[in-house]
Amino acid sequence: MTTTDPDEPTPPINPPIIPPVSPPNAPPMAPPVAPAVAPAAAEGGGGPRALARQRRRASAARFWVRYRAHRSGLLGLAALALLALIALTAPLTIGSDVQSVTDAPGRPMESPSLEFPLGTDQFGRSLLGLVVWGSRVSLLVGLLAAVLSVAIGALIGITAGHFRGWFATVMMRITDWFLVMPTLVLAIVLATVLSRSLGTIILAIGVTTWPTTARLVRAQTLAVESRPYIERAKALGGGHWHVMSRHVLPNVMPLVLAQTTLIISSAILSEATLAFLGLGDPTVVSWGGLLQDAREAGAVSAGKWWYLVPPGIAIAVVALAFTLCGRAVEAVLNPRLGVTR
Amino acid sequence: MDTHGRYGTRGTVLRLLAVAGTAALTLTVGLVTPLNPAPQRAEAKDGKQVLTVAVAQSVDSLSPFLAARLVSTSIFRLMYEYLTNYDPKDDHAVPGLATKWEPSADKLTWTYTIRDNSEWSDGRQATAEDAAWTFNTMMTDQGAATANGNFVANFEKVTAPSPTKLVIELKKPQATMAALDVPIVPKHVWEKVDDFTKFGNDKSFPVVGNGPFILTDYQADSYVRLKPNKSFWRGAPKFDELVFKYYKDGDAAVAALQKGEVSFVSGLTPAQAAALKTQEHVTVNDAPGRRFYALATNPGALAKNGKKFGDGHESLLNQKVRRALFMAVDRETVVDKVFQGYAKEGEGYIPPRFSSYFWKPADGQKISYDPAGAARLLDEAGYKKNGDGKRVGKDGEPITYRVLCHATDPPDKAVGKYLQEWWGKLGIGVSLDCRDNVSDPWLAGEYDLAFDGWSVNPDPDFVFSIHTCAALPATPKDVGATDNFICDKKYDALYDQQLAEYDAAERAEIVKRMESRLYDTGYMNVMAYPNAVEAYRTDQIASITKMPETAGNIYGQDGYWSWWSATPAAAGGSSDDSNQTGVVIGIVAGVVVLAGLGAFFAMRRRATAEDRE
Amino acid sequence: MTAEATPSLVGKTGDPAGAGPPGARGPRGSWGPRGRRTAYPRYVAGKLGGAAVSLLAVLVTSFFLFRLIPGDPVKFMTGGRQVSAEQLAAYREEFGLDLPLWEQFTDYCGKALTGDLGTSYQFRTPVVDKISDALPNTLLLTGTSFVLYTAIGVFLGTRAAWRNGGLGDRLNTGLALTLYSIPSFWLGLLLIIVFSVGAGPIPGLFPTGGMESGGEEGFAYVLDVAHHLVLPVVTLVAVEYGQTLLVTRSALLDEMGSDYLTTARAKGLRDDLVRRRHAVPNALLPTMTLVFINLGRTVAGVILVETVFSWPGLGGLFYQALSVPDLPLVQGLFFVFAAAVIVMNTLADLIYPLLDPRVGR
Repeated sequence: MTTTDPDEPTPPINPPIIPPVSPPNAPPMAPPVAPAVAPAAAEGGGGPRALARQRRRASAARFWVRYRAHRSGLLGLAALALLALIALTAPLTIGSDVQSVTDAPGRPMESPSLEFPLGTDQFGRSLLGLVVWGSRVSLLVGLLAAVLSVAIGALIGITAGHFRGWFATVMMRITDWFLVMPTLVLAIVLATVLSRSLGTIILAIGVTTWPTTARLVRAQTLAVESRPYIERAKALGGGHWHVMSRHVLPNVMPLVLAQTTLIISSAILSEATLAFLGLGDPTVVSWGGLLQDAREAGAVSAGKWWYLVPPGIAIAVVALAFTLCGRAVEAVLNPRLGVTR
Repeated sequence: MDTHGRYGTRGTVLRLLAVAGTAALTLTVGLVTPLNPAPQRAEAKDGKQVLTVAVAQSVDSLSPFLAARLVSTSIFRLMYEYLTNYDPKDDHAVPGLATKWEPSADKLTWTYTIRDNSEWSDGRQATAEDAAWTFNTMMTDQGAATANGNFVANFEKVTAPSPTKLVIELKKPQATMAALDVPIVPKHVWEKVDDFTKFGNDKSFPVVGNGPFILTDYQADSYVRLKPNKSFWRGAPKFDELVFKYYKDGDAAVAALQKGEVSFVSGLTPAQAAALKTQEHVTVNDAPGRRFYALATNPGALAKNGKKFGDGHESLLNQKVRRALFMAVDRETVVDKVFQGYAKEGEGYIPPRFSSYFWKPADGQKISYDPAGAARLLDEAGYKKNGDGKRVGKDGEPITYRVLCHATDPPDKAVGKYLQEWWGKLGIGVSLDCRDNVSDPWLAGEYDLAFDGWSVNPDPDFVFSIHTCAALPATPKDVGATDNFICDKKYDALYDQQLAEYDAAERAEIVKRMESRLYDTGYMNVMAYPNAVEAYRTDQIASITKMPETAGNIYGQDGYWSWWSATPAAAGGSSDDSNQTGVVIGIVAGVVVLAGLGAFFAMRRRATAEDRE
Repeated sequence: MTAEATPSLVGKTGDPAGAGPPGARGPRGSWGPRGRRTAYPRYVAGKLGGAAVSLLAVLVTSFFLFRLIPGDPVKFMTGGRQVSAEQLAAYREEFGLDLPLWEQFTDYCGKALTGDLGTSYQFRTPVVDKISDALPNTLLLTGTSFVLYTAIGVFLGTRAAWRNGGLGDRLNTGLALTLYSIPSFWLGLLLIIVFSVGAGPIPGLFPTGGMESGGEEGFAYVLDVAHHLVLPVVTLVAVEYGQTLLVTRSALLDEMGSDYLTTARAKGLRDDLVRRRHAVPNALLPTMTLVFINLGRTVAGVILVETVFSWPGLGGLFYQALSVPDLPLVQGLFFVFAAAVIVMNTLADLIYPLLDPRVGR
């Protein structure tokens, strides 16, 4: 199902036109930053670089202006900022003691009260504190898994787009193969094979969700490399590394960014899913882990809704916020998709 | 532009949409229609009294030669008569298929008298020949020994001189001969089986048996259905049908009980038990359990040939360290917080429920919760804290114990969290290694400590045998019967003594001395005896036998007493009221959905009609 | 239900139609990007070849992937009972684990081609039997939800796009996105609490789990199963329809910019006729492909819903097998899950050009 298929593209970014990714419409936002820069950029001096920086700043400002027009995107961004703040300040506001089972302040599974606004868990720990504390792990895992996934995807996409030939064929075959793998199944298998830790979860999600990114990035790379200034850069002696890092990468960055935002959303859902299936690290507090604890403690049939509802809502809110941001970014890059403002 | 093509395409798509829409409508109607009372209380219809038991395990096999799970062996108790059974009051052996059993003077030959009033469900008489065939098959066929091979390991020869006489000759004396928990199967059915490893006993129904129930239907991962054996020698069960229904999810099972879909649920969590206690028509049975829940240490894995293997931490070989670790475990908290009162504090190896074998340490011997004392003991043993407050091992590295835990067992994970904090204060690290299946590191001795627990039988021989040197694997490559590689000469001597002791009281005394020895070694630290927490609906079950009768459990008894004795409650449960409301709301919801769908399709039709103009 | 679906899925590896020339083009090879016209049969052969290659790749991976699971399967199998080295060796021989890895592999592949996926360690029955017992149940669950969420998604997506930016669109899209962000297992648990156990004034209307009460026959049985089906289907539909909705919506918005729609309106056709007769059919093309791909994925994705609702399908079996681990069963299930995706992707690839004349010319 979609919620658990981390690699399932959120549709707007990748209307699945099956016959292959045709060279996509060039993102209107990143119109060749480089043409003017390119000739000089080959180990150029300070001037052209400063110019390039200036242009990038300008395009970033343009991006922000357009992004601002998307109300849902702003909403998502605001939600994320708030959540990030809560997660980052958690050590100050609630402290890591909230995890301690021996110093738990309440009785097991107390219902919400003034002292414990969201009640307590099976050990008598404050659920509000745990949900806040759990945001650190859930967000961290989501971010790292998405970064890992997009990094792999971008690396394979750019190299496969740049080098062509047998290398590209092999890479795209591998990508295609991963694309048909049932992601959740593969992630479950990986999490089972490796020992239970956060690293395992991050790896399991990252390794199984990169193919969509790889395909998108490769298509974009092909489009960028077909532009004439790349020819010029090559003629001026720019090596593979130079072309990929100086010309291709900056141009696929916006796409990569949008993709990361969307993948974080599904990575957080995947983390919750794996933890819920008991494949997470049982000693770490995360939202999925809380849900699994609640279920194992029998909170569902005992009617202890306060144990079950907050972590689920937290997951949904974060996933939704990232999706909204991703869609807004996507809409800025490709206005034809007509995302609701 | 290919106009024709475009129109053709549109037609196809519209047709596809229409098909999808129709299918959806059909399905929705199918979904909505059954909101009538019929499936709500399937058990009530046509007046049949059905006892439905929710089980958390699926059946692994219906072949008594293969199955190992509790749910399967519980069902075998109902399908087949065993030689002996256990008294529901005090667990002493009572007649089953055998009416009498006695040893010879040299203790090596046991003679069983087989009853002449037990009939297989296909009408043939159950005889000593069936029993002899069952045991002989297990002794000769490797495949048939899969599940219960340990029972016949000490058998020299089994014969049936007459239909009512079974003779078992032993290699050496064995005090457990009235506790042979082996289902006796009908020879005339089973001798046709070629390969016992492949025969699942689940193809032709009803399955021929002579127990209180006859298995009539089985759906893998779903249910097992049994009907009463009207000619059962002890008397037929009272319910018209007994169903074991598999619920993967404990909450789903409890919810099913609350709704009256099932009559009985076991393995409740504290929260579930607390919630069910306030529920009408439900009785929660909080019975002393048969299990002990312990922390086992790796004493240095060893094979019988003297080869050491595994990588248990060297510090655990020091008895002071083991003692200190256990001194830092607050068993009261384990009972209070983890089991939330649904357990007894752990003491000796055998749970108090088995009163004749229960032993507890004397005051001077007892290891009480004392973190400061634990720290002192560790200092004495030479494991001092370094600058970071971590205790270091002989190799100079900070000590971090790997604790094996069962990922599917919530108490393991919960206690693990406490251990991290308790031992963390002592300066010892804990890394919880939770796995679905712990057997690999466990058998290889690649762990430091592990959560351990066994269900104890009325005859405790088995749970003691797994700590003898004889149970060690022959070589590191073999798998022994050993639980956690304990090998202690004093303990072994006591074990041999009790096995050859045919006087019950004498034997119990020796058993208690074994428990004392085991306690002192500190390899098996019993933290708690978890209760069996179960619940059943009083509007479906009027009475049911517990074991022990005064305050015992219902599911997983050492006999068929509970299901055999259960009597149905008078018909006409009061849960009909809530069903009435349910039906009304269901019908309303159904009508709303149907109306919505109707409107949707009416709009479509109207539009299509306009389309044609 | 379609009990006969198993052989066709499993037998797919041996399907002669799949043995077409693999060619240089991948499973989703570079067909037509330069606007070159390629003959459809050749395209079909390429796709089928690609699918066959993918299936083989999955077969290979499923074999090696699960060899990574640490530990000795024989020791798992004997479940810690006392066994001698000889007995362990006998077990190894019985399950062919004593052979060198490559020999096990060729053996496995050879048998797989004849539809034999080995014997389950824990159930001691052929894997194919276990899978074909559970597959119809999973197909019933996925099939029903699939039809419903596709219909709902397409319908609502069309409406949303037509009123792009309006309040209805925003509510619609917002709800879809929200449901799409909810963990399915969590939604399932909440539904059980509310509609199964009953909360407050809401009585428990639906069974808490399982697929049948047992003992019903004929039409009563059908009703009984349908009754059990409601909550799992609602869960799946709720979390799945959003995607269909969003794709339909954006495809339709793409389409609505087209000139021919303006022409159609200029002809005086009513708005919703323009939508239904012109825009929707064309916009449905990308949706159709998504629909197929989704179906394949849903088969694997039901693992969670099946776990929460104790549905006796492939998902529950997979989870059960993995915890042993019952390697042959895990391998077989993995293969079935991946094969479902491959088959559906291939179908999408094959049908797409037939529906959209613009592709490939």
